[in-house]
Amino acid sequence: MFAKSWVKGLTRFSFTEIFIPLIIVAGSSLWLSGRSTSLLLFIKFTLCYLMMVLSLQVFVGNSGVLSFGHGSFAMVGAFVSGLATAPLVIKQHAMSLSNLWQPLVDFKLNLGMSLLASAIAGGVFAALTGGFLMRLNGLAAGIATFALLGITYNILFNNNHIGPSNQALPGVSQFSSLTLPLVLVLLAMVLVYFYNLSRLGRTLRATREDNMASRGLGINIVRVRWMSFMFSGLLAGLAGAMYAHVGGAVQVQDYYLGFTFFTLAMLIVGGSASLWGAVLGTIVVSGVSQILLMWEQSTPVLGVTIHLPIGTRAIVIAGMLVVILLWRPNGISNGNEFKLPNFLSKIKVS
Amino acid sequence: MQILEIEDLNSGYGKVDVLLDITFSMKAGQCFGIVGPNGVGKSTLLQTIAGAIKPKSGSIKLLGNEISGRNPEDIVRSGLALVPEGRQIFGGLTVMENLQLGLTGRADKKTSHQAIEHVAELFPVITTHSKQQAGLLSGGQQQQLAIARALITDPKVLLLDEPSLGLAPNIINNLFSNLKRILEAGTTLLIVEQRANLVTKFADEILILREGLIQDRLNKIDAQDENKLKKAYFGLGANE
Amino acid sequence: MIQTILNALSLGGTYALASLGLGLVFGVMRLVNFAYSELITIAAYTLVMTNQLPIMVSFLFSVVVTSLAAVLMELLIYRRLRGAAPAIMLVASFGLSKLLQQVYELCFGALPRSASIAPWMSGELKFAGVSITNASLITAILTIVLLLAMRYLLNKTSFGIQLKAASADFRTARLLGVRANHLISLAFVMSGVLAAFVGAILVVGNPQVEPMFGMNMTILALVGIVIGGISSLPGSALGGFIVGVILSLLNTWLGNGRVYSYSWLFAAVFIILLVRPGGLLSKGQEMERV
Repeated sequence: MFAKSWVKGLTRFSFTEIFIPLIIVAGSSLWLSGRSTSLLLFIKFTLCYLMMVLSLQVFVGNSGVLSFGHGSFAMVGAFVSGLATAPLVIKQHAMSLSNLWQPLVDFKLNLGMSLLASAIAGGVFAALTGGFLMRLNGLAAGIATFALLGITYNILFNNNHIGPSNQALPGVSQFSSLTLPLVLVLLAMVLVYFYNLSRLGRTLRATREDNMASRGLGINIVRVRWMSFMFSGLLAGLAGAMYAHVGGAVQVQDYYLGFTFFTLAMLIVGGSASLWGAVLGTIVVSGVSQILLMWEQSTPVLGVTIHLPIGTRAIVIAGMLVVILLWRPNGISNGNEFKLPNFLSKIKVS
Repeated sequence: MQILEIEDLNSGYGKVDVLLDITFSMKAGQCFGIVGPNGVGKSTLLQTIAGAIKPKSGSIKLLGNEISGRNPEDIVRSGLALVPEGRQIFGGLTVMENLQLGLTGRADKKTSHQAIEHVAELFPVITTHSKQQAGLLSGGQQQQLAIARALITDPKVLLLDEPSLGLAPNIINNLFSNLKRILEAGTTLLIVEQRANLVTKFADEILILREGLIQDRLNKIDAQDENKLKKAYFGLGANE
Repeated sequence: MIQTILNALSLGGTYALASLGLGLVFGVMRLVNFAYSELITIAAYTLVMTNQLPIMVSFLFSVVVTSLAAVLMELLIYRRLRGAAPAIMLVASFGLSKLLQQVYELCFGALPRSASIAPWMSGELKFAGVSITNASLITAILTIVLLLAMRYLLNKTSFGIQLKAASADFRTARLLGVRANHLISLAFVMSGVLAAFVGAILVVGNPQVEPMFGMNMTILALVGIVIGGISSLPGSALGGFIVGVILSLLNTWLGNGRVYSYSWLFAAVFIILLVRPGGLLSKGQEMERV
């Protein structure tokens, strides 16, 4: 039965839907990152955001349930990966870590293992909280996930036994090149795409369309949501860790409201219902944001310089989110996967 | 004089069409009944006339004025009120507050006081329970309140959606004798009922609605004939 | 001791006002308005920027600015989203909140703006061996007066009845003649007026106004309306009051652990959403409809 439905899922598989987004992400990353060190850094951060938006797409996009809480999985992932890779000398001597719990001081993993550990931590945290959160719908879910973010932040911000509290944890190992983050993101894209096609993903989308009807069909909504929440938490934990390995430091404020807002905006601007929406949203929002940032610093973009006051960037991003919600609530992708423009697909047929 | 004229009315939810080309008209002081099985669009029809659902096309005229597409709060002011299915009284408000709410939809505010007295005459529950929370009233009392609340908006046309739903037989008798008095006072009534026999007794005409269409119209005499009614209701042709 | 109780009560009252402001708007359009925070902030900025004027003039000015901002918010953004899923409106209000924070940052800078507002407020009043600050006494009196006024407005006026009816069932209320646009606009005005009072109370206690000034208050007021009952206005006020009192008491009792009082409150939100999704004052099923 499972095999049969798997085949059914595969028949929906379209080569362009997954392959073109992969090429766009890989191509633009490699091309832009070679141009300057600041662009390389920008690409690395964008890949972290993309990982986070993929995580949100898996859950929010498929279930239709809003989550403000994914930042907490990213926080946990970042803390795990940060503490696992920060050198012993820093953990023993940094002022902010003087109260760190001994097993955490001894906790040591290499970069690859720490990424794995942070993904597991994010997944486990999502599994633990999801059992309760998945029972809620609509607004209640929005508020409860917000409360989750608030609790996680509040504890990590104040407790110096489990981390640097409100200080930065320095010395976290950094990605030596673009390869590892890029490969992780491409892999995640493939996983997410097939997850969306799978029986689980399709069932979850069915519950999004009609809650009552799917309950009537005997679908255990809580369980289906929970599974996707765990997968989503796993990716969020990984995204948080990647962010730490790009910046070389962990600070809990980086994953709070601003981060939540920025990544949700990406998902909604692109369109939450598809992988292509997540990719497009991340590219558009990050791209616009980077261009405006360069203009704020009076750096030319493709030879054009517009002098903008500092702060314009965030206004434009927030404005974009609001405008999209008003005029195109399904996002730029309108909830569709990538399709070749009409004239191109005609050429292919003839 | 035609008080309510409906022409080629199409309505529904989203992409789903529920009503197809509904056309009928009523004279002032008439009573029409609409009967038909569950889910054929009876409630949708009343909700569309009252403005709670925007029609897709067609025309609804009240006293010769086009009202289709207007807001429900404006339609009630121009003299058409709906007593919704399940009564929908505000359980958290008192009986009197429910009535005061009806006053917001009344065009002539000066005579508000007389209006309350007038409906209180018809429905004693308003005086006896005026300070009580409406949610604590019995089903029959709630229905009285719902009708009183609609009457207080001073409607020329009153729409009632399944008024007998969930009421005991003797309460239903009482309800329909009250409706008769309202009709006799000159208000035009359009009543949706699943139990056809309740309305056939005093409606001037019965519209039979099925699959979004008016399948048949029976006058008072035909409607009292149970065979004819059954045939029309279940869509059985004359030769079956 | 008296000071502790008075502080708890006046903090509770302030939160009750803020929760009521959020609850009013939620009632009429099922919108959790995150940008309420920016209404509080603009009220505080206005007070600080017009500091040279007499306090009453300055305050009146801030009430006008804040309610105007609230009405514009409704007209330009929320009106177009009416009828959208509550979750969509929640995200939109979150976005609007961020947008306004950035606008404030652009206009007033990221650093706090401060001014000494009504310095006599920090003076102390002594009687029978007990000393209390003028500010907490005035806040307590002000919130009691305001809550009584709101109670009168909601229970005794036609506007209040319409508001309560619309909160319970907007569709039926409209069928009876309640004008949707007027009522929603009025709800936003009142929400703005309450935000102006909350902003004033906050700015007297802490005259350091920065772009995120109203954020904490709004998040906790949101906690309040969830605890009290999101669809009931008395519930909202009560929930806000409970949050304020608990927060004040936690801050006193927990000592060094008081940094975690937010976690305790958020945990309470979890539990209440689980066992009574409609809040403490609800009769159940409210949240389902939402």
